[in-house]
Amino acid sequence: MKHIVYLSRAVHPLTDFDLQTLLDQSRKDNARNGITGILFYSHGNIAQLFEGEAEVADKLFGRISQDGRHSHVRKLIDRPIAARSFSEWSMAFHPLAAESFEALQGFLLPHHVPPTPATLPTADALLVELVRLAVFGPDPSQPYQTTVPTF
Amino acid sequence: MLRQLPAGVATLEGPELRYSFVNDQMLELVGKEPLGQRVADQPGQLPAYFLEVLPRLYAAGEDYTAQACTCGSKHCYDLSVQPYHDEQGVVAGLLLLAVDVSEQEAARQRAHELALTTRHLDARLRVLTETAPLITYTTDAGGKVIYVSPQWYRFTGQPPTADLTAIWPLLVHPEDRLRVLFESEAGRRTGTGWNFEYRLRRYDGAYRWMLSRSLPETHPPEAPVFWHGALTEVHQERELSEARRRGEAELRFLADSIPELVWTASAEGLVDYYNHYTLEYTGLTKEELGPTGWVGLLQADEQAAAARRWVQSVASGTEFEGEYRMRRHDGVYRWHTIRARQLSDGSGPRWFGTCSDIEEQYRLRQVLQTQYDELSRAHHNLDTFVYAASHDLRQPTNNLRGLFEELRRSVTFADAEQALMLQMVDTALSQLDATLVDLATTVRTQRQLQEPVEVLDLALVLEEILLGLRPEIMQRGARMEVLVSEAPGLRYSRANLRSVVHNLVSNALKFSHPVRPPHIVLRSYLTADDQPVLEVRDNGLGMHIDNPAHPVFQLFARQHTHVDGTGVGLYLVQRIVTSQGGHVTVNSTLSEGTTFTVYWTIPAI
Repeated sequence: MKHIVYLSRAVHPLTDFDLQTLLDQSRKDNARNGITGILFYSHGNIAQLFEGEAEVADKLFGRISQDGRHSHVRKLIDRPIAARSFSEWSMAFHPLAAESFEALQGFLLPHHVPPTPATLPTADALLVELVRLAVFGPDPSQPYQTTVPTF
Repeated sequence: MLRQLPAGVATLEGPELRYSFVNDQMLELVGKEPLGQRVADQPGQLPAYFLEVLPRLYAAGEDYTAQACTCGSKHCYDLSVQPYHDEQGVVAGLLLLAVDVSEQEAARQRAHELALTTRHLDARLRVLTETAPLITYTTDAGGKVIYVSPQWYRFTGQPPTADLTAIWPLLVHPEDRLRVLFESEAGRRTGTGWNFEYRLRRYDGAYRWMLSRSLPETHPPEAPVFWHGALTEVHQERELSEARRRGEAELRFLADSIPELVWTASAEGLVDYYNHYTLEYTGLTKEELGPTGWVGLLQADEQAAAARRWVQSVASGTEFEGEYRMRRHDGVYRWHTIRARQLSDGSGPRWFGTCSDIEEQYRLRQVLQTQYDELSRAHHNLDTFVYAASHDLRQPTNNLRGLFEELRRSVTFADAEQALMLQMVDTALSQLDATLVDLATTVRTQRQLQEPVEVLDLALVLEEILLGLRPEIMQRGARMEVLVSEAPGLRYSRANLRSVVHNLVSNALKFSHPVRPPHIVLRSYLTADDQPVLEVRDNGLGMHIDNPAHPVFQLFARQHTHVDGTGVGLYLVQRIVTSQGGHVTVNSTLSEGTTFTVYWTIPAI
């Protein structure tokens, strides 16, 4: 088992439709491949933590880094873990029409993201907190302003 | 058959050259109903010089082809004419042929227009390439320089007659020459272009950094034959980035030379650089540390708070500062001050952090704190002693005054001076009493100001006191046992509690049995009436409790004269406890040990 964390920038801002498609497709693929974790998206900023069998996770990251929909992929951590910290794969973002998303499986509003699992070592939990801050800005209940420089 | 020809055909008969046959196509040239008309009367679109030639041809009777070109309303034609003969071989007329050349003509027109456009484009390109602040060039597959724009001559100061292919490599800086030749050759060989920087000699002999980029002109499937490119001067940019690189390298070198933990982090708070000493101190690699690994080096119970603090700092851009124990490569934790500040300049915010080892200062501070505690305790003991002594001395003083009063009444003195002496003794006794009262009042007032009563965490306070006695405990190899779970809190004055416990414990240590290491148990509990109690039990020498020759709680009373001491300790303990409404009992067996039981103040309900 291993987990990988990366930050990236979407090439085009993702629309509600793009996000929903991404959520559906990724949940299906990840459930099949035994990948769990969480993805943060806001105003073109992307951060993801995912965990799974080393081989599967590496292959997934290979695909992610080749994906033309985003660029500036920065892998922050890639290290073996003893056990999973996330029970499923979910996404947190600010949709324009929040009502239509609330019922969706695996969707979270940024300010409803549960606290980082206690099973993560503090260093990794801190990393997740920092990338969440980098994506959503200091106040996750507010749509992200311009605290993090855009590339 | 002549009618079907894809060309115009007409015959002109007799010396008057009258139309005798005209096919449909020819009608476009000569006009309607020409038959029988003289050609001179109905020339149609036939050009004038052609008409002039016709009679002469007829007269000459020679086989001769005259050619001309003309256009009808729809098509253009090439005209040719030749005489034809009758059976006798005499010239009978002229045969006219008009071949449709519309397509060729249109093509020629187009070619002409294209040539014009090309000339415009060419002129434009020329103006652009020759005025842009960059040098353009073209080479062929063999590396021969076919063209350079005039800027090149201006830049290098070379004459227009210079042999470009031969001279340009000589103008490249010797250190760059081989690389440039190799890379451009490689670019040509693989059919790609190139993109590199090199120094080119300027007209004044100075070498300037140039960026050379080139792409092949491709016409698939043939291999490229020409490479077109541009040279731009990038000297200043290059110098700047070089200076920046140098500055960065110098900073890194500096940071790596400091025996202090130094690191930098991105705007998101992710550490991207640890200096050499950090790696040395932690014994970890940059990869093992990762962007947030530093937090894992702190003591486990301090990690979460430090992480929260860092997230807050990053979110608000405020300075991070705190004292933490950080694990060294050998597992030893040392106290560090961790500081990080955000630098915001043109290139976005960045964090710069240091961790300074303050282990020595921290230890020094602890020693100072212990010494300060000792001193303040000694000071307090002294106060208590003064207070107690003054209080206790008042009773005998009063007795003395009473006795003198009695004496004065019952005894008569003959000498008046003796009565005066008695008067003086009385005055002196009054003064002594007043002094004692003043003394007690002063000390009491001071104490009341100094010592507020508060709810104390016994575990903490006892630990502090034992820390102060550490040298003695270590020296005697004493085993200390602190049991406070039954009554963990106590409402009391901190200084008084310290004074009591310090005295009892240091006594227990002092009067330890020579054949066994001291084992001292401090136990806090509540009586059935909820009165808090502290029991201090040792396994030391023990005391005579009921021996009038060896009182326990009297001032200057000493049970074991072979051990250093003033005999003040237990007296003070009792004074303090009783002054706060409590009492102290003692239980002891000689050579087995002593148990002091301190009944603190009964809490007010």
